[in-house]
Amino acid sequence: MASTHNSIRQMVSPLLRRFQSLSLHAQNTSKPSLRPFSTSPTLLAKPERKRTGDPRVTLIRYHLQHPATPRPLKFSRMRALRHWTIHRAWQLFRRKKLGAEELELQRMYQSMHETMEVLRTMDAPGTKDAGRLYRVALEKKGIFGKGGVPVEYARLQTDTPGKEAWDHSWTR
Amino acid sequence: MALRELPSSLRRMALRDARPTAAIASKCLRRYASGEAVAAAPARGEVPEDFRDLESESSLFTAFSPDEKIKAYDPIKRTQARKRELPPSRYQYRSPRYYRGPLHPHQPPPKSDPSSREFIPGPFSYTRLEQTYQSTIAPDLMTLAYVHKPPGTVTIPKSDRLRTWDDSSPYHKGRPKRGPRGPGETLRLIEQDINWRNIPKIEEVTVHSYIKGALEDSAYLHVAGMLLLSVTGVRPTVHKARHSEGRFGLRKGTPVSLTCNMRGEQAYDFVDKCINLVFPRIKDWPGIAGTTGDSSGNISFGFTREGAILFPEVEINYDMYPPKMIPGFHVTIKTTATSDRHARMLLTALGVPFYGKLID
Repeated sequence: MASTHNSIRQMVSPLLRRFQSLSLHAQNTSKPSLRPFSTSPTLLAKPERKRTGDPRVTLIRYHLQHPATPRPLKFSRMRALRHWTIHRAWQLFRRKKLGAEELELQRMYQSMHETMEVLRTMDAPGTKDAGRLYRVALEKKGIFGKGGVPVEYARLQTDTPGKEAWDHSWTR
Repeated sequence: MALRELPSSLRRMALRDARPTAAIASKCLRRYASGEAVAAAPARGEVPEDFRDLESESSLFTAFSPDEKIKAYDPIKRTQARKRELPPSRYQYRSPRYYRGPLHPHQPPPKSDPSSREFIPGPFSYTRLEQTYQSTIAPDLMTLAYVHKPPGTVTIPKSDRLRTWDDSSPYHKGRPKRGPRGPGETLRLIEQDINWRNIPKIEEVTVHSYIKGALEDSAYLHVAGMLLLSVTGVRPTVHKARHSEGRFGLRKGTPVSLTCNMRGEQAYDFVDKCINLVFPRIKDWPGIAGTTGDSSGNISFGFTREGAILFPEVEINYDMYPPKMIPGFHVTIKTTATSDRHARMLLTALGVPFYGKLID
């Protein structure tokens, strides 16, 4: 054990010595040199360029050019499969929801159509005011003008509607 | 016989009394919740006192033994049975970079596939505006603009809007039909009656800003880009001047303007922000001009510098932008409506006021 230790030390010692000498040498010569390298007078030196412009612009430029996009995702086989399954399920769910919405609209449209047919054929031809209801129901007076849809109509749905639906006493 | 039919673990539990409990505890130190449930479960048919009030169909009574599944799972056997070797686990399918035509053996996956290069994830939310539109506004618009067509109505086919070629030359064969007469004339869209399939809705929103200061100093362009990015959530596209124009000091090729395109939830979110947060706070704002629109269902309006400041994303860190560099911008709402009046009806229903003369 001791012999091996000695041999390693013998091998390493020149290296060690060299390192020590180097570091010592560095310590000796690390005095700051007073004389500049250039011989031209200091007055002729270019003044250090001052930073011009708004630092906010610099910051904005930095953030606009910084590549913030991470590398694309890399998954193992099983994890990719899991993601794929969830993705397909989500697509299916969305498809079903869209389909249900469209079917609901179609149902409304058809019921409107049937109602209008009933109104149209309600009265016998020649009677007084025949088809008046039908005519009135299909009137489109003013729907494309101003106030066709009242401003009060545009209230978005909320989870928790206010206690008071409309403040009638409010004045500017 | 009855004992043999029961699963193995159940059998073990049945024989439990015969063995010393210490031996069992040393054998299986692991605790299985399902195993305990099986132990608690008596034979089929009779229900103990405690469970009388509960529903008969319960997971507590199912005699599930995990052993069978574990035994059935033999990955080595499965691997050996496989005809072809699977690709290494880190292998990722990458769709081809270029589309090389329908006859090429490598076809890119559909856009909805996550491995596609054109895949856009989302939508990540169901915005309030979209929800209201879907549940309330769309049926109401359909009812408002309902046009009745009695069954058996004969529709007279209209003459073709595109001009045909007179077959004076053999080269006319197979040519597409000609557009309308006159320079710069294109076919206008025809307004369709609203039915349950073509209720007008917001399709896309484009934000555009011409930055005059960008001619001298690019800082104007960068600040405007950051502002639009924060307002819309979409990285703006830079457009260069196409022609030199002396009066405006434009030189060809100078980057002068920015646009952002928003679709889907982002578009709805932006419109929602405009209508409910920004419009009500603009001073002395009369509404959107009634003369706007390109007669094919796209409505435009603008925000001045003061309007742009009112957006919540700008307002919250207003100090980030040098005040004199904050730009105004134009917004174009593209709807699926094919006429201005339908588009205007949609926007009115969403809560946008119009002023002045309405022009279709």
